[in-house]
Amino acid sequence: MTAIAGRLLPNGNPVRLGDLARRFSLTRGALTANAWFVYLFFYAPIALLVVFSFSADRNVGRWGGFTLSWYDDFIGNTSIQNAIWVSVRVALLSTVISVVLGTLAAFAIERFRFRGRQAFDALLYLPIIIPDVTMAVMMLLFFSEFFDLVNLLFGTDLRKGFASITVSHIAFNISFVSVVVRARLAGMDKRLEEAAMDLYASRWKAFRHVTLPQIAPGVAGGALLALTLSLDDVVVTQFASGPGATTLPVYVFGLIRRGVTPLINSVSVVMLVASIGLVLLSLFVQRSRGGAAVGPPGAVAAGRSRRSS
Amino acid sequence: MTDPVPAVEIAGITKRFGDVTAVDDIDLEIGDGEFFALLGPSGCGKTTTLRMIAGLDFPTMGSLKIFGDEVGTLPPNKRPVNTVFQAYALFPHMDVADNVAFGLKMQKVERAERDRRVAEAVGLVQLGGMEGRRPNQLSGGQQQRVALARALVNRPKVLLLDEPLGALDLKLRQEMQLELKALQREVGITFVFVTHDQEEALTMSDRIAVMHEGRLLQVGTPEDIYQRPANRFVADFIGRTNLLEATVASPEEVVLSNGMRVEAASDHAFGTKVAVSLRPEQAFLHRRGGSPAGWPSIDGVLREVTYVGNALVHSVAVDWITIEVRTPYRSTETPPQVGDEVSVSWEPGGVTVVGD
Repeated sequence: MTAIAGRLLPNGNPVRLGDLARRFSLTRGALTANAWFVYLFFYAPIALLVVFSFSADRNVGRWGGFTLSWYDDFIGNTSIQNAIWVSVRVALLSTVISVVLGTLAAFAIERFRFRGRQAFDALLYLPIIIPDVTMAVMMLLFFSEFFDLVNLLFGTDLRKGFASITVSHIAFNISFVSVVVRARLAGMDKRLEEAAMDLYASRWKAFRHVTLPQIAPGVAGGALLALTLSLDDVVVTQFASGPGATTLPVYVFGLIRRGVTPLINSVSVVMLVASIGLVLLSLFVQRSRGGAAVGPPGAVAAGRSRRSS
Repeated sequence: MTDPVPAVEIAGITKRFGDVTAVDDIDLEIGDGEFFALLGPSGCGKTTTLRMIAGLDFPTMGSLKIFGDEVGTLPPNKRPVNTVFQAYALFPHMDVADNVAFGLKMQKVERAERDRRVAEAVGLVQLGGMEGRRPNQLSGGQQQRVALARALVNRPKVLLLDEPLGALDLKLRQEMQLELKALQREVGITFVFVTHDQEEALTMSDRIAVMHEGRLLQVGTPEDIYQRPANRFVADFIGRTNLLEATVASPEEVVLSNGMRVEAASDHAFGTKVAVSLRPEQAFLHRRGGSPAGWPSIDGVLREVTYVGNALVHSVAVDWITIEVRTPYRSTETPPQVGDEVSVSWEPGGVTVVGD
């Protein structure tokens, strides 16, 4: 018995040094192992992806010596570059439009009482709830019917392509943007807007000078989310795209069906490097602004719940 | 000479939120240069009344004039009034100078003039040197001053204050009461403030409007309201008082519920059920039978004595009620002890009759 005199565990048992050391090291060991496993799962696939992008063998997973030819292929492949270009344009355009519309929708629901508000509220979240495939089929049907009708009426030759992809991305991005912005708006003291209007600001100026700076982090977060979702999307885009234009994820998906070559790896590595670059850039921008542009959200929240009569 | 135009003139104003009537047909005139308090418990409609003057809520019906101009449906940015909000509502993303300058910027006051007036307002509330700070870097008292400066810099005709001192601790609150009063004299404009704190209202205001359940119960000077409360609610809400149930016997006399006749003037009809309000500091405590001759006196037993610094508060149980008596504290006297038989008396005519 190696009990320390006078020391008891909460359950009344004496502390034994050996037990304590063993339990401590076991927990520590398990946690460390867990951390390594997590990192392994995260990064091993990425490492493999990068390694095999330099493999000379046509079959992914079989090392055939070092080569840069897949990157050569990538640079020479105009259809991949077109797909990237479409992806970027769709993402930027749909993000800008859905941020504007989503923010306004969030503001309307959060700040105004109007007929049909609850129905509007529920409908706004529909694209988040319904499965991607359903959304995709809806889009397909909608664009087919719509383009057929317009072509019939005006004798035009509209087809699915860049515009239909962008519209469908806006359709689901609005929901995500407004969810994020609304959370921020709900945490903001409504009296700040009233104070602005009391100080001779019109409703628009109150929004522009007081509300918008307060919800800016939410708007930025919503924009990033929209950008990511748009760049990532396969299912909806596949149904909304036409022969004229396709985005990178859909193009890569098509490549895989024709057999996987390390070309896909090289495309992915380029995307990976680009996104890491974007993250670093955004961190750098935030750092250099010192976070000063955005006040702490809790600063005015102290007295919010204390309105009398 | 015509009568001076009132700063704020409210006529027949009612405000309903759905089924709830927040303000029920009130009439009120607030004079130019007055320090005016809207006083009442939570939910009495005082804040709604203030918000209607500010333009943040619109009356369901009635007329609201500011210096003779009908403003009932004008938005807040078109009214010559500014507000100091409860918990101040300072813009957290702007420093003190930008907060104060906001109203002038919105009115497109030119740069030089704006800077001059901001400096003046910041000086007025003694915040010189703090211009570059953010609201969250200021104490509660300093935030309150910023809120005052932000409103006053626009030179409003009427300044509205919603529980302006509610967020401050007691000591600071008492200091700010005096400062606000001095500030109002200095700028010479009408201040309308909302409070649930009757002591604050009595200390600071020229006149007080007491509100309850959306209705205006009494408007008058602090002395009026304290000494001559219009009804039972006002008597009970303002200060502390003992309400003794009574019946009117004649214009000069009422009968208490123990049959005792008490001299008290009222204009209620014979037989009306009323209450007699006896302020704790206007009641006197004597050993049983020691009341001055000719003074109304009720016998009772001393149940409790509380020392409150400058005074002693006695709870005296009489037949049907407990009466509170407040006497100045003197260390040389031996006060009556708990359990002693005592009498409570008051100067003839020293009580007020209040109806329902």
